[in-house]
Amino acid sequence: MPTPLAEWTERSRDLSQLLARAGLGDRAAFARLYERTCAHLFAVVLRINRDRAEAEDVLQEVYVNVWRAARGFDAAQSQPLTWLTHIARNRAIDSLRRRQAEPPRHVAGAADDDEDQDVYDKLPSDTPGPLALLDRVADARSLAACMALLSGPQRQSVALAFFDGLSHGEVAGQMGHPLGTVKSWIRRALQALKGCLDLAAQRDRAVEAGRPGGGTDR
Amino acid sequence: MKLDRPELAQRLAAEYVAGTLRGPARRRFDAMLPSQPVLRQAVQEWQDRLLPLTAALGEVAPPARVWRRIEARLTETGRTTVAPAIAGDSGGWWRNLAFWRGLAGASSLATLVLALLLANPTPQAPVVVVLASTAADGSAAAPAGFVASFSADGRAVATRPLVPVNLAAGRALELWAVPAAGAPRSLGLISADGATVVKRRRLLDDTAALAVSLEPAGGSPSGAPTGPILYVGKLTL
Repeated sequence: MPTPLAEWTERSRDLSQLLARAGLGDRAAFARLYERTCAHLFAVVLRINRDRAEAEDVLQEVYVNVWRAARGFDAAQSQPLTWLTHIARNRAIDSLRRRQAEPPRHVAGAADDDEDQDVYDKLPSDTPGPLALLDRVADARSLAACMALLSGPQRQSVALAFFDGLSHGEVAGQMGHPLGTVKSWIRRALQALKGCLDLAAQRDRAVEAGRPGGGTDR
Repeated sequence: MKLDRPELAQRLAAEYVAGTLRGPARRRFDAMLPSQPVLRQAVQEWQDRLLPLTAALGEVAPPARVWRRIEARLTETGRTTVAPAIAGDSGGWWRNLAFWRGLAGASSLATLVLALLLANPTPQAPVVVVLASTAADGSAAAPAGFVASFSADGRAVATRPLVPVNLAAGRALELWAVPAAGAPRSLGLISADGATVVKRRRLLDDTAALAVSLEPAGGSPSGAPTGPILYVGKLTL
């Protein structure tokens, strides 16, 4: 079974060509690119900005942006799905700017805690929590080994920040811990993720290189 | 911000990709990226690590209206093209770099496309197409542009860079004939620092533009452009 990283690479391969052709002004290629990626990018955006109307606007901006920037895309430097996901996340985080401008939640008391709860009240009940998402990343063996070095709150803090697009302050508010503590949790968790994911990527490359005909693409 | 310290670059790149770098700091970081290769590299690595994790989010199909709105926007924004037909003598003025630099400088367009019909008003006048850099600021890896001149019978095209292009090891430039619709056709690799003559019987058939992309040495492995499009020029016949 391919690891998520290998699967990601696989999906990206076909997208390179569509993106290159879109870069040359090919509308049909761009339409296919949209068909094949919009559901992923919408999930990414919607997870960060849960207001559906706003998320739709963000998605629209993302693709108009992609159309304009497609020409500069370099398949040797980055994978299409990674590139697209980054643009989507950037726009989604940007759309939260207004929320960001509100006073930080961690400094206040109980009233703010209730407010934080609201963020989660908006979630449909079948939406997996950030930790569940981390578990879902099926390459769990290496990930689990690294993450085991971290405490539950450390794992939760990075998952909240990454999947849900919460700022340090919002994570602190959400979890009821001081900002400084949360910042260092996230930093440590990212370091741990780096270790595991780099290992997983090395393994994928080894598998790829060992496959007949593999390893020639990149 | 001093970013020559690798660990600081690493930390900021991680926070940027993870999404915890926010507000003005995020915008400053965004603005800094194009000029900071070390930072870009760190960001790229963090993206490769973290962004595949978003596959765990599954998929949510957006409503059809989103695509309709996008399509409408494409029509309205279209890529800006400038295609004046300038009659002039057949001298070398169009090789004058200062002229093109000035022109590129005067225009803040990301894409500056110029097609020139040279003097001969005969039906088979040789056509010179200038492939302008697609880099918005002109300072990026690919400055200036290429000149492509077609033979009178339209079966050969000679390309020449306005100034030699510095390529990283293992990279090559590939020329493409771009039809109005459909996939671009490869016209082969072209020299980054000298003239290349490409001969094809069907060179001009439905070719709407020429483009040069950055590819791995030996050319695109897939038969379609994989690298960034560095130069592009529209044909106006």
